[in-house]
Amino acid sequence: MTNSINDLLARHTLIFTIVVIIFSLFITFFSEPYGNGLISTSFVKTLGKTVCLCIIALAMDVVWGYCGILSLGHFAFFGLGGYMIGMWLMYERTAIIVQEAATNELLPLTETELSNAIGNQIFGVVGGYDIPSIWMFADSLGLQLILVIAVPGILAFIFGWLAFRSRVTGVYLSILTQALTLALSLYLFQNDSGLRGNNGLSGLQNIPGIEYLGQEVISIGFFWASCVFLISIFLLFHSLMKSKFGLIITSIRDNETRVRFLGYNVEIYKLFIFVLTAIISSIAGALYYPQAGIINPAELAPIASIYLAVWVAIGGRGKLYGAIIGAAFVSLFSSWFTGGQAPDIPLGIFTIEWVNWWTVLLGFGFVIITIFSENGIIGFLRNIFVKEK
Amino acid sequence: MNTLLKVEKISVSFDGFKAINSLSYSIGKNELKAIIGPNGAGKTTFMDIITGQTKPDEGKVLFGERSVWLESDQKYQVVWDENLLMKSESQIALLGIGRKFQRPTVFELKTVFENLFISMKKNRSPFSVLFQKLNRDEKNLIEKILGEISLKNEQDRIAGELSHGQKQWLEIGMLLTQEPKLLLIDEPAAGMTSNERRQTVEILKKLSADKSVIVVEHDMEFVKDLECEVTVLHEGSILSEGSIEHVSSNNEVIEVYLGR
Repeated sequence: MTNSINDLLARHTLIFTIVVIIFSLFITFFSEPYGNGLISTSFVKTLGKTVCLCIIALAMDVVWGYCGILSLGHFAFFGLGGYMIGMWLMYERTAIIVQEAATNELLPLTETELSNAIGNQIFGVVGGYDIPSIWMFADSLGLQLILVIAVPGILAFIFGWLAFRSRVTGVYLSILTQALTLALSLYLFQNDSGLRGNNGLSGLQNIPGIEYLGQEVISIGFFWASCVFLISIFLLFHSLMKSKFGLIITSIRDNETRVRFLGYNVEIYKLFIFVLTAIISSIAGALYYPQAGIINPAELAPIASIYLAVWVAIGGRGKLYGAIIGAAFVSLFSSWFTGGQAPDIPLGIFTIEWVNWWTVLLGFGFVIITIFSENGIIGFLRNIFVKEK
Repeated sequence: MNTLLKVEKISVSFDGFKAINSLSYSIGKNELKAIIGPNGAGKTTFMDIITGQTKPDEGKVLFGERSVWLESDQKYQVVWDENLLMKSESQIALLGIGRKFQRPTVFELKTVFENLFISMKKNRSPFSVLFQKLNRDEKNLIEKILGEISLKNEQDRIAGELSHGQKQWLEIGMLLTQEPKLLLIDEPAAGMTSNERRQTVEILKKLSADKSVIVVEHDMEFVKDLECEVTVLHEGSILSEGSIEHVSSNNEVIEVYLGR
């Protein structure tokens, strides 16, 4: 019996991989550079971004749905990943522009002049031309990529170590994670944070060195990278949660004390999951923001992390594909409604404009889904299609 | 007899209420002992202290699992090098103290087999667990334990579907796969049918062949069947100790406990 369940799960991952690959090929064959252009470059970007959101939803599902830690701060790690990659993108591109402009000058620029010119270009908006020390690695893609992993990893480690060691659980932990993301976004809003305050980082869609390829090709590249990462993370989480490690993680969710009395150091397990999912969220962010083109501190606002929890709850937590369905479904609807494409509903004296009313609809949807199906859309579908004894 | 656990003059109070009052207790290797007492006598708090969930205000809890040959005295002596008060719950569990809770506490969403698999004595660090697979010997051990706790036919069932008594056994089974040296068992017979109760007595007696077992119970009849030394707790201290006949003839015991 156990075997047949495993077979079914093994088939799930295979089905999932095939579906994502077919979907990616389908998009590619209708894209502007590789197909008939039925799907616009901006829509490819929207899809690529949605795939990144699915990845962070997977991370959220593992930390919340499987391990029982309702983190309301994972979007902060996503944003940090965006900032880390954004620093390289912005610095390198500015450096190239500055150097190109300087080729017309008689004398070549000195180190200081070059650095000041770059600093002025990037930090002029916040009144300065000194390049802050946190940008010291910004000229190296490799080092910034390491920071994409290291910065959220270390932050999550310190935060998690303090919180879990003090046995902070449940709603108190959720509040702490909210505070973390709020503090981080408030800090980034400061002009002297060294990350351009509320201007954020922009022009991230221009990838230094390969700009000649054009956005329509780059967007397909990022879309594929996101899909490949989604598949890898799905497979990683799936095998992790199927292993003995996964059994212990879900046991911690169901009865932490029991696990502790069995001799497991629950705090270390939670920390492991918290840091792992923070890092994966960060990488997803590093893939997302070059497609979005811009990142600013508002992206890290607490509401974003709450939305993340809503996606997972709507999709169905405790099931990996539930998280993906929730994230894809809600974020695509969200961009459709808020993008002004949804037809407004005139009610005579009052017109429902979806741009404003979308959150109301989402709220109602959330309430209805959680009332009727504890396990979200997935739970609802399972009730219909899978006849359990 | 070699002593395994030694509790010395522990006291603990919650908001001024003295739950445990200068209590001393010890249990030897492979000994079966029972603790009885009315509600609020401090039985569960006592277990909480041993397993590290509650830290006492004063006193010592020593776990002497090692015997060392003393040349000078020409005899073995137990080394009391494990001060349990300095350790966390999981460290204490790893030293070899297993605990069964008052309410059956199993992982309800997992199968019986998975419950036993998780509690298996193995390296507990997350990095080691990532790559742990069940080998043949371990599988055989789990099957053997499934037999001992009469759940052989239920191994693929979800634990939440089991009857109350079966859950109690499963929890005892989980303690067994942990291979502890000392078992603390809180009200094993609660909510059991008389048939299940008899079987539980058998299981516990069998356990004490190679483990020390402390059973906390409410039920005098059950304790009588265990045929072991009994300690009566009252208001956080020991009222009487000895055989069940001895304690049940004690006037004070009759007054505070049996007389009610």
